[in-house]
Amino acid sequence: MKDRFGFDGSKMTGSFFWNRPQLGRRMFFRHMASAVSGYFLMPSRPMETIARAAQTPKGTAKKCIFILMAGAPSHVDTFDLKEGPWTPAAFNPTSFGDVRFPQGLMPKIAGQLDAIALLRSVRSWAAVHQLSQTWVQIGRNPVNGLAKIAPHIGSVVSLELRQQDRDKTLPAFFSLNAGGSVAGAGYLPPEHAPFYVSPNGAGLPNTTHRDGAARFDSRYGLLMDLDADLRYGQNPLGPAPVEMSAFNLDAVKLMYNSDVDQIFNFSPDERLRYGNSTFGNACITARNLLHANKGTHFVQITFGSWDHHTNIYAPNTQLTPMARQFDNALGTLLSDMRNDGSLNETLIVAMGEFGRTVGPPNQTNGRDHFLQQSALFAGAGIQGGRAVGSTDDRGFDTIDTGWHRDRYVRPEDIEATIYSALGIDWTTVRHDDPLGRGFEYVPFAASQDLYGPVHELWG
Amino acid sequence: MGICRVKFALAILATCAAGAVAQEVRQASVADCTFSADPDRFLSQQGRIRREISDRVAKFHRTYAGTGLVFADSAGPEALTRGEAATDIPQRNFIDAEIFGKLKKLGVAPAPLTTDEEFFRRINLDLTGRIPSADDVRAFLADSNPGKRDAVIDRLLYSDEFVDRWKMWLGDLMQVTSASTNIARQQQGRDSFNAWIFQSLMDVKPLKDLAYEAVSASGNTYKDAEGAANFPLNASTPMGPIQDNYDTMLARTASTFLGMAYYDCLLCHNGRGHLDQISLWGSKVTRTDAEQMAAFFSRLRLPRRPIAQNVEMPGSWDVYDQMPGGGYDLNTNYGNRPIRAPIGTLRSLTPQYRLGDKPPTAGDNWREAFAASMVKDPMFARNIVNRLWKQLFSLGLVDPVDTMDPKRLDPANPPPAPWQLQATHPELLEKLAAQFVGMNYGLREMLRFMVQSSAYQLSSRYSGEWKIDYVPLFARHYPRRLEGEEVHDAIAKATGVLGSYVVYGDKTPPVSWAMQLPEPAEPRSNGAVAAFLNSFLRGNRDNQQRSQAGSILQQLALMNDPFVLNRTKVSASPTLQSIAKISSDDAAAQEIFLTFLSRNPSDSERQRAAALLKGASGAARNAAIEDLAWAAINKLDFLFSY
Repeated sequence: MKDRFGFDGSKMTGSFFWNRPQLGRRMFFRHMASAVSGYFLMPSRPMETIARAAQTPKGTAKKCIFILMAGAPSHVDTFDLKEGPWTPAAFNPTSFGDVRFPQGLMPKIAGQLDAIALLRSVRSWAAVHQLSQTWVQIGRNPVNGLAKIAPHIGSVVSLELRQQDRDKTLPAFFSLNAGGSVAGAGYLPPEHAPFYVSPNGAGLPNTTHRDGAARFDSRYGLLMDLDADLRYGQNPLGPAPVEMSAFNLDAVKLMYNSDVDQIFNFSPDERLRYGNSTFGNACITARNLLHANKGTHFVQITFGSWDHHTNIYAPNTQLTPMARQFDNALGTLLSDMRNDGSLNETLIVAMGEFGRTVGPPNQTNGRDHFLQQSALFAGAGIQGGRAVGSTDDRGFDTIDTGWHRDRYVRPEDIEATIYSALGIDWTTVRHDDPLGRGFEYVPFAASQDLYGPVHELWG
Repeated sequence: MGICRVKFALAILATCAAGAVAQEVRQASVADCTFSADPDRFLSQQGRIRREISDRVAKFHRTYAGTGLVFADSAGPEALTRGEAATDIPQRNFIDAEIFGKLKKLGVAPAPLTTDEEFFRRINLDLTGRIPSADDVRAFLADSNPGKRDAVIDRLLYSDEFVDRWKMWLGDLMQVTSASTNIARQQQGRDSFNAWIFQSLMDVKPLKDLAYEAVSASGNTYKDAEGAANFPLNASTPMGPIQDNYDTMLARTASTFLGMAYYDCLLCHNGRGHLDQISLWGSKVTRTDAEQMAAFFSRLRLPRRPIAQNVEMPGSWDVYDQMPGGGYDLNTNYGNRPIRAPIGTLRSLTPQYRLGDKPPTAGDNWREAFAASMVKDPMFARNIVNRLWKQLFSLGLVDPVDTMDPKRLDPANPPPAPWQLQATHPELLEKLAAQFVGMNYGLREMLRFMVQSSAYQLSSRYSGEWKIDYVPLFARHYPRRLEGEEVHDAIAKATGVLGSYVVYGDKTPPVSWAMQLPEPAEPRSNGAVAAFLNSFLRGNRDNQQRSQAGSILQQLALMNDPFVLNRTKVSASPTLQSIAKISSDDAAAQEIFLTFLSRNPSDSERQRAAALLKGASGAARNAAIEDLAWAAINKLDFLFSY
């Protein structure tokens, strides 16, 4: 598959994913001609120059829900349905316009397809779980030197959007059901780190005092009295404890706070409506968090594991029950957010870290790791009811990339898309990093092209 | 972020001090805060906060009205400012000559020396990760031996707790994990890795030998006797050609043992055009130079045994060097790093150490050759002493510690302008490195040397005006937040309530002290305690560094987590039970401070605490003791080592 500059990457084995700022002259000028009008000097980092030329973020959303489908779901059984004798009848493959979708497996989402765009030309760099999960969350190769300091996409969103908020009761970035390592704030200040919660509908943990509110009041008064010198005024220990006491005041504000309680307390009926699952509870919480307008802009929900190497079509284990939980919760979330109008200003992204093998299942009746994958987008004014990009009849490789860059969509491009939707200039380079190298929100380039947002999602 | 609230709360305390009650507080001005977006909403929110705080303070006042409690204007930081004047600070070794010499030259006054209380708590935490018991504090304060600080240092250096703490430190450094992004070491591999580190510490092994073994080790990763073989496993880099493994091994080794993480960059591209502003040495290094270093690892093989029946030690890795052959082949066009192509007719690189050491022959063991060159490299000693310095002083002489620039460290060969020598105290770094070599690379010996200095024993209180320019001068000690393991263990020790955590796998017995956990992913068996520990950002020894940042979750945990509340109960805590038996209110108050904060209370602190206990008996008095214990745990001088 040649890109629009005539470069055919398909002859190469494996995958490329390193920065290659030194383009050949011919390629460089082709890029210049296409992206830029006028004369540009050729500095030592030409890709940076090209990247920063003429771009405008979409800015249609203020909030984002990012669902990491950990373990990597089979794309040919979910967002890029490819039928065969192995497809269970219960999946009920149905055509919605040009989109083929397993209506029987995910009926609620099928009912919301007019709000959903399925991006089918996505390709992971590496079919390794931890590596690619981290890749997707920091939007760059975790193996390179920069990854030590690289923040989670949500932390960058927090950094960029936090300053607009009046009500900053809650952190800007929440990570729900993370379980295990999730990328953090990197080198950014700790207030942009994810706030980890595994919500169960019974409140935010540790925001009530088990020995009673009255007891807490008297204890807290005692503490303030005994510790005043270390918290206010001339602190003999210097600035670090003062910062800690600011976190303490923020923490106290979350306690016995009815606004916060409303976000994290929901009834059994509500839980049932979302499918009575941990994923459902997380979706309710995400909806409540963003709706409350108390400073939260980015919620990641981790839901897995989709790593179905064996017996993928067993009706009561593996893919089917996972997909039902996914469908119940996300379908209801989309419906709720359309009804209250919040979907227009909220970007929803759901993706795994790579895809799964295509065609007939493997010798243990499952599917194995595979680079080709899909991603679900909704909200933020995205034009729904369609697929962007398409794959061959088996889902093996992209045949129509669906966007102007005319190549596979990579995690870096999805990162740029999220920033663009939220009005953040994805070509930003910060010069406050401890490596002294400069930190770019989105790495500039793959071997032959820039990374950038998939604006075709907006039509 | 919290500035307005801080000023505002200060206003409250000032009015409390004057004895006024809630009304004055409501009129406290928030004019200092400039929120132009929506002033009414901001003020109503601030009003609500004001009311909440004033309600709480008023309740507290009401509770203790008529007790004769005097609310002084400020507590008077008496407890933390008692100490001798900083007139004559003894110079105990060349660290002091360098540090105080530079301070004197710049006309900057140092902080005073630590009081005995400050020193004793700090040295216990820094060397063993544990707070001292109240009895130990008392004994130390009462000891009239003028050499008592040196005696304590020696006792702690050779304690069991020292081994636990520094096994954790070396585990962070060498990335001891059971599962990470690239490597599935499994619990057996992690445990044998830890066993080797543990034995090395018990045997007082020179760090040169430890490093040499780590880099050159072969064997099976599950076997305790071959535990060092787990370090080369860090080289494993999936989704790429084997040269990616060689590169990762060099990058990890250079960062860990030489403080030169820029090799990771140089294995993708030349330094020129990338590191010109950052590293004088790096800017002149080519990718080929870096690959010639990686070539030492081009015989390294890491086959994994299948996880199947009839396989001995399934899932383990056999680390070895494939001989003969090797050579870093320039023939890759995929993977984690850019294309490796022949250079003219040169198709493969042989090992060449960066300092021009005689290259190994085909018959030599190449990893041993690298290890030998590495420990002779001046960067090895510099890197280790710099990392130890950072651990004790909170700021490296070179910081970040893995960005050391060999061309900017030797004061006898300074770099050309505009480059400057990299270390804050270049002569000191060189002397410490030489001293470390002279001490046969002894970990305990170098730590002793550092903590015996007056520079280490300075207080964190600073009486003059502090300027940010003074930071690299080490004019005072810098407080550090306790690590999660230290917080957990301090609460456990102070309350005397020890848990027992089953550790994943069958080799490690259950542990009671968090500092004995084999990796930050533990205790997998106890999610609540793991969550408590993780709120203090232990990192994962992989792609998330350990961090001393604060967070809301930490504060919520300290105030409300069952881990804390279950222990601040007289019924559960042996130490609180014995404190409850002390009939004198003053003495009981003092015991709380000695137990939790490792110091005596100031007069005003003692008065307040004793007043809480006064007149109460039975259950009410026990409740007051529990309140004091809770407050002590939530005090900032519990959470910080100062």
